[in-house]
Amino acid sequence: MDTQDQHGRTRSHRSHPTSQSTSQPTHEVPPKSPPRRRLLLAAGAAAGALALTAGLASPLNPAPQQAEAKADGKKTLTVAVAQSVDSLSPFLAQRLLSTSIIRLTNEYLTNYDAKDNHAIPGFATKWEPSADKLTWTYTIRDNSKWSDGKKATAEDAAWTFNKLMSKEGTATANSGFVANFKKVTAPSPTKLVVELKKPQATMAALDVPIVPKHVWEKVGDISKYNNDESFPIVGNGPFVLTDYKTDQYVKLKANKDFWRGAPKFDELVFKTYKDQDAAVAALKKGEVSFVAGQPALTPAQASELKGTENVKVNEGPGRRFFALATNPGAQTRDREKFGDGHKALLDKKVRQALFLSVDREALVDKVFQGQAVEGEGYIPPRFSEYAWKPSADQKLSYDPKKAAQLLDEAGYKKNGDGKRVGKDGKPLDFRILCHATDPNDKAVGKYLKEWWGDLGIGLKVNCLDDVSVPWYAGEYDLAFDGWSVNPDPDFVLGIHSCAALPVKAKESAATDNFICDKKYDELYNKQLAEYDPAKRAETVKEMQSWLYDSGYMNILAYPNAVEAYRTDQIKSITTMPTAAGNIYGQDGYWSWWSAVPADGKSSSKDGSSTGVIIGIAAAAVVLVGGGVLFALRRRSTAEDRE
Amino acid sequence: MTTESAPTTPESAPQAAPQKSARALARARRRHSAARFWREFRTHRAGLFGLAALVVIALVAVFAPLLVGSDAQSVTDAPGKPMESPSGEFPLGTDQFGRDLLGLLVYGARMSLTVGLLAAVLSVTIGTLVGITAGHFKGWYSTVIMRVTDWFLVMPTLVLAIALAAVLSGSIWTIILAIGVTTWPTTARLVRAQTLAVESRPYIERAQALGGGHGHIMSRHVLPNVMPLVLAQTTLVISSAILTEATLAFLGLGDPTGVSWGGLLQDAREAGAVSAGDWWYLAPPGLAIAVVALAFTLCGRAVESVLNPRLGVSR
Repeated sequence: MDTQDQHGRTRSHRSHPTSQSTSQPTHEVPPKSPPRRRLLLAAGAAAGALALTAGLASPLNPAPQQAEAKADGKKTLTVAVAQSVDSLSPFLAQRLLSTSIIRLTNEYLTNYDAKDNHAIPGFATKWEPSADKLTWTYTIRDNSKWSDGKKATAEDAAWTFNKLMSKEGTATANSGFVANFKKVTAPSPTKLVVELKKPQATMAALDVPIVPKHVWEKVGDISKYNNDESFPIVGNGPFVLTDYKTDQYVKLKANKDFWRGAPKFDELVFKTYKDQDAAVAALKKGEVSFVAGQPALTPAQASELKGTENVKVNEGPGRRFFALATNPGAQTRDREKFGDGHKALLDKKVRQALFLSVDREALVDKVFQGQAVEGEGYIPPRFSEYAWKPSADQKLSYDPKKAAQLLDEAGYKKNGDGKRVGKDGKPLDFRILCHATDPNDKAVGKYLKEWWGDLGIGLKVNCLDDVSVPWYAGEYDLAFDGWSVNPDPDFVLGIHSCAALPVKAKESAATDNFICDKKYDELYNKQLAEYDPAKRAETVKEMQSWLYDSGYMNILAYPNAVEAYRTDQIKSITTMPTAAGNIYGQDGYWSWWSAVPADGKSSSKDGSSTGVIIGIAAAAVVLVGGGVLFALRRRSTAEDRE
Repeated sequence: MTTESAPTTPESAPQAAPQKSARALARARRRHSAARFWREFRTHRAGLFGLAALVVIALVAVFAPLLVGSDAQSVTDAPGKPMESPSGEFPLGTDQFGRDLLGLLVYGARMSLTVGLLAAVLSVTIGTLVGITAGHFKGWYSTVIMRVTDWFLVMPTLVLAIALAAVLSGSIWTIILAIGVTTWPTTARLVRAQTLAVESRPYIERAQALGGGHGHIMSRHVLPNVMPLVLAQTTLVISSAILTEATLAFLGLGDPTGVSWGGLLQDAREAGAVSAGDWWYLAPPGLAIAVVALAFTLCGRAVESVLNPRLGVSR
């Protein structure tokens, strides 16, 4: 399911451009010349660097013509993405990019309506539970074909679910959906029967890609097979995957026989741009048609693109929450403690004090510059059915005085230096895990350090490329956390249940933050077994209320999806929800399936690329400086050698 | 900056009156050689330019709180709106938190200079120790230690520093350590060569004959003679250390809560200033790095040519 992608631990690692290296080999300098002349030379070179900057900053000649329909008349839609593919196997893929691609290549039993997220027919045309709620019967469509010509039937779906339920399948990404399954059979090619152990409310939202049995039967161990060996990959979705190069591109071609109708573009390419600025530049030049809003375009990028001709910036409410997670004391399923979370955080008063001293409004205002909604409940307001808001007296709004009071009550008084000290004399110093690749983490860290510093709490911002090691080991006090939420909230709720805890200490597990609470678990099981949507939503809201009061998860904001595309390449594209929503990373294939190519006569020229030029110029200054320096050093050492 | 250890050949010591104490003599000699050094240094115009630039930047860094206020780094009390363009109130505009970029640039000088100086001192200290001992002891010790040095020499410094900074937690001490332990081999090789040259002189043999031990020879005879080289090397290493610091910070490996020039460039990139064309955010930190690195290099070259007799001859 595409929720995990967003989780900090499995987020893609953006690598950094390596410019400014100090070790630029330089050659053109003569080996021997008197020192003064050399110094003048150096000064000259520096001046040259400046001149170079000036030269670059002037407007360039008209930008190169943008890419459009190829010579063979094929219409290609190129999407710039920042994430890497973790796996192309429908059983293993977890990241947003990979799961979005698999959405395009494989059908799911049901799909979500683009307008309001309700379940609509996908591979199944109809589904209904038995009277005892324990047997579900799906009618499978008879007009879906695999791309190798074979018919897709209920047999394929049954095989997929049985594989997930098998021993090797439990190690895969979607096994959570089938934990409650007793038996899955396909009595006829158009009928799939699922028997459950307990009632399960998510039966119309099983985000499990169905795979072709005749292809996957031949795979040895599905928990190790990444499905990237032979192309094209057999599928039955609106697109067929034809080529893939790690961290370069994923190519898909339209499935002309798709039952819902063929996509309008002939080819869809996901191109990797590790740097969002590079992706924006490519969009401005027309090399790509779309820049994915993950990470969201920064306000500066968005406002620049808004002023660019033929580019539309799409901003919609996000599916994701951005939160502060508090380590509640890492433990295994057998309640064996591990990790080294700060003991003070076991006190609810301390957690709430931390909550109270965070000004979420200011964060939305300053860090997100309005491109987010202030955080309250666990589920983003976009999913209005399940979203919850704290009542006025429950709300922990920004109140440093009250926070100080709570800390005093908890026994952490300020000492002479203004630091809060516990009864054992230890200062209240926390560490926070942050993703080195996420600018928002670092920015919010700066605010937290100051807010908490005023309260007398120390904070060390520990930014890592891969936070999963300390996270799984429970070696953190606080952490930046974030998940994409599906229309069905079961998954994001389940990651706080006791069942999600790791079996062995420091092992990876489904748990988000080691939370395990009896009351929460009761509510979780209650909502899962509830078939009445209104009653289920009630329970889900109760769970969020508990989570809010516990102070374990401080939802800071719901960042908006900010993405952009070229209107001279894409005429129209469906957002989800249709009224105001996102395009990349939808719970369905609507955007790419529905995208209509523009006429192909591109009229625009590139807007100003001054930004890029200046960036290059700044780098050039540094590089030339480094080069000059290196040249001087090299010569100096050459002469000193004996 | 180099008064203490300027080399003094016996002839250049002043012919002071015999009744003066040894200490007074030494002091006079040092004063004299400092004056001589300064006289020589003054003749290098580029060196003077570098020195002047450094003094100005150092003063700015030291008096930063007086110049731009002590809360220039605070995000919660930021005075402006995010990403403002230059104006009378904010000569260089504001960053994404609404902080005055000029203030940040001034504070950035502190971090860059601190890291540059400390890392250079660490690097040169390691290099000198390794170089002198390798040159003095010779034999298998020298062979082993020089192979280690060679190994460090061929390792790409930046990659090694990135690896170190990534493994250790992000703070300025990590950066200092990462630069210090990766850039010493050049100094080590230089110092070793000089040590070999010094040790082949007859007076070392005499000192040994008179009972001078290893420690005595290395600290009393070799060290003072390699000191000029070490000093010049330090000034040169500083500028490369500053550049490396900026690079590491730009790559996001610096202290995320501190302000440095490289960090400013990184912040600018993350805020999308490159796409938006906000040159006032990008250019000043880049120029500042270039200017400081250049100033140190100019100074270092001048110091080197004053102190190194072989370079001095050609003038």
